[in-house]
Amino acid sequence: MTMGSSLCAGRYRSILVSFSPILLIVILVMFLPPEGKEGAQWVQFIGRFHPLIVHFPIALILLVPVLEVVGRFERFSYLRLSSGFVLGLATMAATVAAFLGWCLAHTGGYSGQLVTQHMWGGVTLTAVCWLCWILRGWIAEPNAEKYYAAGLTVGVLLVSWTGYRGGQISQGEEHFTEYMPSPLRHAIGLPDYKPLAQATADSFYAVRVQAIFTERCVTCHGPKKQKSGLRLDSYGWLMRGGKHGAVLKEGNARGSDLFRRITLSPDQDDFMPKGKKQPVPPDQLKLIELWIGAGASGALPQDAIKNLPAGGSVAAAPIQVSFPEIDRVAVAKAREKIAAAIAQLQDKFPNILDYESRGSADLVLNASLLGTKFGDADLQAFAPVADHITVADFSRTAITDRAAPAIAAMTHLRVLRLAQTKITDRTIKALNACNQLQSLNVYGTGVTAAALPLLEKLPKLEHFYAGQTAITPGISVPQDLTGKLVL
Amino acid sequence: MANSELQVAILQAQTRRHFLRSLGSGMGSLVFGASLANYAAANESQAEKSTLSFARNATTPLSPLPPQFPAKVRRVIYLHMAGAPSQLELYEYKPELKRLDGQDCPASFLAGKRFAFISGVPKLLGSQYPFKQTGQSGQWISDRLPHIAEHIDDICFIKSMRTDQFNHAPAQLLVHTGNPRLGYASFGSWVLYGLGTENQNLPGFIVLLSGGKSPDGGKQLWSSGFLPSVYQGVQCRSHGEPVLYLNNPPRVDRALRRTMLDAIDDIDRQTHAEFGNPETVTRIAQYEMAFRMQMDATDAMDISKEPESVRTKYGCKPAGAEFANNCLVARRLAERGVRFIQLYHWGWDSHGADAKEALNLGFADRCREVDQPTAALLADLKERGLLEDTLVVWGGEFGRTPMRENRNGQEMKYIGRDHNPGAFTIWLAGGGVKHGITHGQTDEMGYEIVQNPVDIRDLHASMLYMLGFDHHKLTYSFQGLEQKLTSVKPARVIGEILA
Repeated sequence: MTMGSSLCAGRYRSILVSFSPILLIVILVMFLPPEGKEGAQWVQFIGRFHPLIVHFPIALILLVPVLEVVGRFERFSYLRLSSGFVLGLATMAATVAAFLGWCLAHTGGYSGQLVTQHMWGGVTLTAVCWLCWILRGWIAEPNAEKYYAAGLTVGVLLVSWTGYRGGQISQGEEHFTEYMPSPLRHAIGLPDYKPLAQATADSFYAVRVQAIFTERCVTCHGPKKQKSGLRLDSYGWLMRGGKHGAVLKEGNARGSDLFRRITLSPDQDDFMPKGKKQPVPPDQLKLIELWIGAGASGALPQDAIKNLPAGGSVAAAPIQVSFPEIDRVAVAKAREKIAAAIAQLQDKFPNILDYESRGSADLVLNASLLGTKFGDADLQAFAPVADHITVADFSRTAITDRAAPAIAAMTHLRVLRLAQTKITDRTIKALNACNQLQSLNVYGTGVTAAALPLLEKLPKLEHFYAGQTAITPGISVPQDLTGKLVL
Repeated sequence: MANSELQVAILQAQTRRHFLRSLGSGMGSLVFGASLANYAAANESQAEKSTLSFARNATTPLSPLPPQFPAKVRRVIYLHMAGAPSQLELYEYKPELKRLDGQDCPASFLAGKRFAFISGVPKLLGSQYPFKQTGQSGQWISDRLPHIAEHIDDICFIKSMRTDQFNHAPAQLLVHTGNPRLGYASFGSWVLYGLGTENQNLPGFIVLLSGGKSPDGGKQLWSSGFLPSVYQGVQCRSHGEPVLYLNNPPRVDRALRRTMLDAIDDIDRQTHAEFGNPETVTRIAQYEMAFRMQMDATDAMDISKEPESVRTKYGCKPAGAEFANNCLVARRLAERGVRFIQLYHWGWDSHGADAKEALNLGFADRCREVDQPTAALLADLKERGLLEDTLVVWGGEFGRTPMRENRNGQEMKYIGRDHNPGAFTIWLAGGGVKHGITHGQTDEMGYEIVQNPVDIRDLHASMLYMLGFDHHKLTYSFQGLEQKLTSVKPARVIGEILA
C-alpha cells in the first residue's frame, strides 16, 4: 500500500528500477541460451529450485485480478487496498523465478522449441508484471486503469500458457491428453487411448533387444528416471515414445529418432547415451537396426532374423515371461462343437478327460487311472472327440492292438502313453497318421526292435520310451532315432 | 452351492475391509433393501470376468480342473532337505574359499549381519569334500553325491536362491507357504485348489517324512491355511497302514463299514440341511474318500509289490521311515496321478555342535541316505517317461556360511557352518525346466549372490507357471484380499530356466 504510493511519486525512477532486472534476464536469455548440456554445479543446483519457486508468482498473479474484481463490491472494498502489495510480491517472485528458470534451462541439459517458448513466456510475463505494477502506481492517471486491466488480462493468459508449456517439459508433451477418456478425446479429434503394447515372451524383442536397453539406457530412461519422458524398460514404453513423440519408425531404422541418436558421433549434442557412458557397440546397433527394419514388432519370433552379428553381450539376456489373456468368446466358439460330447464323456468317465487348459479346446485323456477297468471297447466312446485329444495316457489299462484304429484316429496327439499294456508293434504301425506325436511311451510292452523303423514316419518325435521291452541297449538304432530312444 | 450355503460363505468372507468399503457404496443398497446375497452375487459375476473360477461341486472338492495355460508339468515331487544342507559341501565349488581356509573372516562379511550362533571373528572354512566336473554340461558337484552326479545333465541348478528368514521354522514356512508366518496355504494346497487331482481314490497332496524327526515348521508346512481344509496335505506312512486307522478294525468288514458310513452320512446330511455349514459337506466327502482309499492307498504305498531289482536300485530298507522307501513310494504315487508329493528328510542342520551335526560325520550320512534314492527316482521317472511332465525339486530352506561356526566365540570340536539366508542352492529337474544348466552365481566365497538373485516367491511363481498358472490369477478371497501364494510383493517368473 505504502509501496504503491511511494512509487507513484518517483514514477520515472521506478521505470528505471524495473527496467534493470528485465534487461538482465533478457540479456541472459538472448546471449546464453539453453544449450542442451549439463553445466556448472552451482548454477544447476540453484536452477533446480525453479519448479518449486515458480508456483508462488503463478498463484500471486492470479490472485491480483481476483482482489481487484471482488474489491469492486462495497462489502469487499478493503481487498483492493492489498492488491498493490500482492502484485509487488508477484513481480518480485516472477523475477526470481525467471532468473532461476534461466539457470535451470542453461545448465540442466535442456534444449528445443518447448524450452525456448516456455522461457520467453516467462520473461514476457515478468515484464508484464513490472508494467502492471507501475500502472498500479499510476492508477489515478487518465486511462491508466484501462491499461492496467489489459495488462492483468495479458498476465493471466501468459501464466496459463507458460505454465502449460512448463508442464509439458516436466510431464511430457501429452500430459493433459494422455489419459483423457475416449469421449473427450473424440471431441478434440484425438485417436483412442491405447494401452501399453506387450512383447511376447519368446519374441526377438524380449530375448535380444530389451537386454540392450536394460544394460545401457534404463538408468536414465526407466522406472526411476524418465529423461525426456522416455522409458525403455519395456516394449510398451518404448513404443509410446517420449515427450517429443515416437522414437521408432517401424521398418525404418534410419528414420527412427532412437536409432539416429545412438548412431551419431559421440561429440554431437543429440548423441545417446549421454555423459561418460559407453556408446552402444556395433553388434548391438546392428541388432537394433535389423529389428526396427523388420517392423519393430513385439511378436516377431526370436529366430526370425537370420545372419545376426556374433556378439556375446546379448546372449545372457533376462527372459521375460508374459501371460496371455484368455479370450473367453474364442474359447467357447472353439469348444462349441464338442462341448456336448465332452459333457457326456465326463459323466460316463469322471475325472479322466478334460481340456488341456482354460484357453484351449484340446483335450487330455488319462485312462491310466481306471487301470484294467478300461479296455478297447471303452475307447470307442471317445471317437467323436478323437481329433481334439492331444495327450492320451493308456498306461496299465487293458487295451490291446484292437485299440489301434481308435488311437490312430487321434491325429493331433502330441503325447501317447501305452506303458505296461498288451499292445505290440501292430499298434505302432497304425500310428502313421499321428504325425504330431512328440512323445511315445511303450515302456513294459511287447514292442520289439521291428517297430523302430516305423517311427521314422513321425517327424516331430522327440522321445520314444521303450524301457523293459525287447528293445535293449545293445540294439542298432536308426540314425533318426539316436538321442530320442530312452531305455 | 445351495442358497443357504452361499450365504454362509458370503458371511464368512465378510471382513472389516468389506464393511468399511460398503459404508460408502453399500449404504444406498441397504436403504433400498437390496439383499446382501444379491450384492455379493453381483460382485462375484463381475470378478468372474477378470479372475479364474475354482468353483466345484461341494461333494467333489478335489475334482480336476484344467490349468489356465497348457501346463509343462502335471505333478510335483518336492524333496525338502529340512535343516538347510550346506551348498558349499554339495554344489558350490569355491576354490578361493578352500585357499583361504582357516584364515580370519574379513570384517566386511560380518558388518551388519545377524547369525544364529557365530560370534566374534570366525575362521573361513573351505569345502570339506573334493569336487569334480561331470556330465556333458561340465558342472561341478561334490564327491558326496556320486549317484546324483550321474544325472547332472538332467538338473537345473539355481545357485542364487535367497530368503529373508534365518531360523528353520519361519524359513521352511516361507519355502512352503510363501510366507514366514503361520496360517498361510502351502504350495501343495494351492496346486490342489487350482488343479484338483485326477485320482479320487487317493489324496491329491501326500506328505512323507524321514530322517527321524518332523521338520521344524511342523504340520503347518503342508497346511491348507485359509484354503478349505480339504486341500491340506495328508501325511502318510511308508510302511504299515499308510494312514492310521484307515483299515477296518478286527471283525469289521467292508460291508459293515459301508453301512456305518451310510448312517453317518445320513446324520451329516441332516446337520447340513439344518445349519448349512459347507465343512459338513467336506466331512462327508472325506469319509467317502477314506472308504475308497482303503483299497487304493494301501496298494499305492506298498513297495513290497515292486520287484527286488527296483528296490535295490533305490536302496530300500525292509521297513521304516526311510528316504529311499519314500522315494519309491513317490514314484508309485506319481504313476497313480497324485498331484503333489512332498518328501521331507530331516537332519541337515550341520552346525557342528555334535557328531550328528558335523559336516565331516553326520552330514556325510545324510548324503548317503538321499544320494542313491534321489538318483534312482530321477532314473526311474525318466525310464518310465514320467519325468517329462513331473517337476522334481530338491533343496533346503536357506544356505550355510562360508565361515566355520564358532559357538560362543570358541573353536568347536566338530566342524560346522552357521545359517546363511543370503545365498543357497536348490535344483529342479523334469518337465518345464532346462536341463544341465546353472542359473545365478555367488561370490568367490559362496557368501553373497553376485548374479540373478532368486527370491522364494520367484521360484514359486516359476513353479506355478510350469503347472500352467499365472501366479496373479491363482487366488482365493480371504480377509478382504485376493490371497495368492506369492503374497503381495512382485514375483518374477524365471524365464531363463524355463524349457
